[in-house]
Amino acid sequence: MITYKNHTLVNGLTVVVNRDRSSKLAAVNLLYKVGARNENPSRTGFAHLFEHLMFRGTHEVPDFDTPVQMAAGENNAFTNNDYTDFYMTLPKDNVETALWLESDRMTGLDISEENLAIEKRVVIEEYKQRYLNQPYGDMQMLLRALAYRVHPYRWATIGLAPEHIAEASLEEVRAFYHRYYHPSNAILSISADIEEERMIDLAEKWFAQIEDSPRPAVEIPQEPSQTEARRQEIERDVPATAITKAYHMGSRTSSDFFLGDLTTDLLAGGESSRLYQHLVKEQKLFANVNAYVSGELDPGLFVLTGQLLPGTTVDEAEEAMQREIDRLQTEKAEPQELEKIKNKFEANTLFGEINVMNKAMNLGFYQMLGDLPLINREVEIYRSHTPEQVVEFCRRTLRPENCSTLIYRARK
Amino acid sequence: MKRPPLIIPETVDVPQARRHTLSNGVNLYAIPSEEFEVLRFTFVFRAGTVVQRVPFSASSTLNMLSEGSERMTARQIAERLDFYGSNFEVNMDRDFVYVTFNTLSKFFTPTLEVAEQILLHPIFPEEELASYREKRKQGLAIERMKVDTIVRENFGKALFGEKHPYGITYPESAYDTLTRNDLTDLYRNRYTADNALIVCSGRIDDQVLKALCSLGEQLPRSGSGAGIEFPKGESTPYRFTQRADAVQSSIRVGRLLFPRTHPDFIGMQVVATVLGGYFGSRLMQNLREEHGYTYGVGSAMINFEQAGYLAVATQVGTEVTASALQEIYREIERLRTEPVSEDELSLVKNIMIGEIMRVLDGPFGIADVTIENILCGKDNEAVTEGVRQIRATTPDDVLRLAQKYLRHEDLITAVAGPQNPLPSWNNP
Repeated sequence: MITYKNHTLVNGLTVVVNRDRSSKLAAVNLLYKVGARNENPSRTGFAHLFEHLMFRGTHEVPDFDTPVQMAAGENNAFTNNDYTDFYMTLPKDNVETALWLESDRMTGLDISEENLAIEKRVVIEEYKQRYLNQPYGDMQMLLRALAYRVHPYRWATIGLAPEHIAEASLEEVRAFYHRYYHPSNAILSISADIEEERMIDLAEKWFAQIEDSPRPAVEIPQEPSQTEARRQEIERDVPATAITKAYHMGSRTSSDFFLGDLTTDLLAGGESSRLYQHLVKEQKLFANVNAYVSGELDPGLFVLTGQLLPGTTVDEAEEAMQREIDRLQTEKAEPQELEKIKNKFEANTLFGEINVMNKAMNLGFYQMLGDLPLINREVEIYRSHTPEQVVEFCRRTLRPENCSTLIYRARK
Repeated sequence: MKRPPLIIPETVDVPQARRHTLSNGVNLYAIPSEEFEVLRFTFVFRAGTVVQRVPFSASSTLNMLSEGSERMTARQIAERLDFYGSNFEVNMDRDFVYVTFNTLSKFFTPTLEVAEQILLHPIFPEEELASYREKRKQGLAIERMKVDTIVRENFGKALFGEKHPYGITYPESAYDTLTRNDLTDLYRNRYTADNALIVCSGRIDDQVLKALCSLGEQLPRSGSGAGIEFPKGESTPYRFTQRADAVQSSIRVGRLLFPRTHPDFIGMQVVATVLGGYFGSRLMQNLREEHGYTYGVGSAMINFEQAGYLAVATQVGTEVTASALQEIYREIERLRTEPVSEDELSLVKNIMIGEIMRVLDGPFGIADVTIENILCGKDNEAVTEGVRQIRATTPDDVLRLAQKYLRHEDLITAVAGPQNPLPSWNNP
């Protein structure tokens, strides 16, 4: 259980704090509610490029990293389809250094043409290193493009193509900063061995003077229901063919999320899971299998994926996957099996709570979802679900006409 | 607003582990902290790749410990651990293997029952081995498509030599001839009291301790704890591997030095950190920030039991491979010719101290550090001593160490990518 206090400053910045009595570190997390789903379709990858630019210095602090490091701190950031997250840990006595730096770059970012040019090159190298120069590196991109036709989830945070990044202009950078990087679009969360009231006072001290500049939200086009099965086959120089099936499902805040997550754990949560035991160990069709839900703010995906062993044909592999789906739709899971999933979820929750950075990050995330108390209720929610509800979810969701299949074939 | 004042902790204190010597000679180290609802225990065995006589037998023995025991099938083991949400993981390096269980304290007893099966009674079933071999072969083939994997393996060979236990690698096909006997042999000789130590942390009460001791005491002695004789190393200055289709080249530059026990190890850690050990390091400034050659570059001291080396690692755009290499050499040379400024050095010291604090955050991190210290023949006082040495390092020390250890002619380079950036070098 994570204890917390929250407070909203007059400029709209939400502050959430947790007192951790065992750590000597403070974790400070600043989440901006902007991600790849807010991008212009001709400038995909922009939110992530912008995250990089946030480290390029301000009028007052020309180099962001040095003062963090002088304070014995460490910081980084990530961007996903829904939000951008900046996080830092440092000795708790230096917590104000983090607040000073984050408040400073919320208003004073100073990007030159030269800085932009260099950062674009860095991001294009990242594109190559993580997506083009890796076996299966483009699989996620292909899957998104197949499963979504309209919603901006059809592209990955790195963007549709390196050219989109190369073409970003300084003017676009400034406009993006003003639109999305202001107090009422942000959440500050802290976990440290400091009194909660004191942390809120410190947030007030460093952030309250920043003026808010709210902009009307831009409507995000929502994905229409999928009505027929989609299928794409491509060939690449990889040693093993991979199959991925993605089904549309509800959003992170819908009850479908929990049912979907439970189901993926039945299928692929640990070595005792069904896909691993049946398809990898008993039938020896796959080298590995996985199942997960994307868990995004807008309706997301339920994904099954696996790499085939050399002797397996695509037909055999798909039939085997389908048998597992049929079983989910017709047979109720044994209480013991569901209990296992729920215990596992509880254990992972408790393992996550021993680390200040995890806690600060989670507080920011649940606040973004708009349901902060959920952070302590999820174990109970998982426990409340019944085998009947899982069957019903699978019948409703794992339908062929709701499915996108990507066959990533190994070139012979 | 004004920059807040900085406070850097003078020392970093780590709780000492309490040692219990069991009747079979195994040492068990406990670092209890009551405030958590979780605990962790790790069995360390001297059973890394250096002890193997047959390719892949060390990793396969370790990975197959949980694939069936005298009383439980692989599936039952997985079911039981998953049922209690207990997490079981294995790790290895060249010298040692680490078998770790993380569990909620309320599920300690059933988790320990499974641990006993895994650690004391594995049977390595023939059928499980057959499918394991196939999966690993395929997994390794995929890994070896990456330029980064190719260069990591080649750098090890360049540093130590093709046949040296710290440098040797094997083709995927070596899995085909791996037998159950190879695994049971290695298990019988190396997963024994003479080769073991145990570390536990988190919510450890008397009952937990007693149960862990009685499991540890069941480890038999084998009499095979003797050290391994290493052949003399043979370095190669340059190795290039062509991968025509790669869109980046992967680079390693470094040299063989010494293990953690050497008096200059911490000093060289400072040198490696100045060079490429943090986000704003010289190499990051140069290769990423000024030139945009790469998404990231780093350098570090790597420690084995009987050796250690410094390595710079990066992946760069193929067209800038030669330029990136020249910049890496230039930055290394600069360490030997210009003293580092007091400002830069104090920044590096603070980063290193902050990193030590982060690693030690929480009971699991403390256990990792405790294991590392024990394996170097030290106790947790070593952390405080290390921080003292870092703090005492002067710009002269950095210059002296760089001049002593980082001469250009002593550097070893490995590259994998579409074109050879240094065609004038002889390639083995």
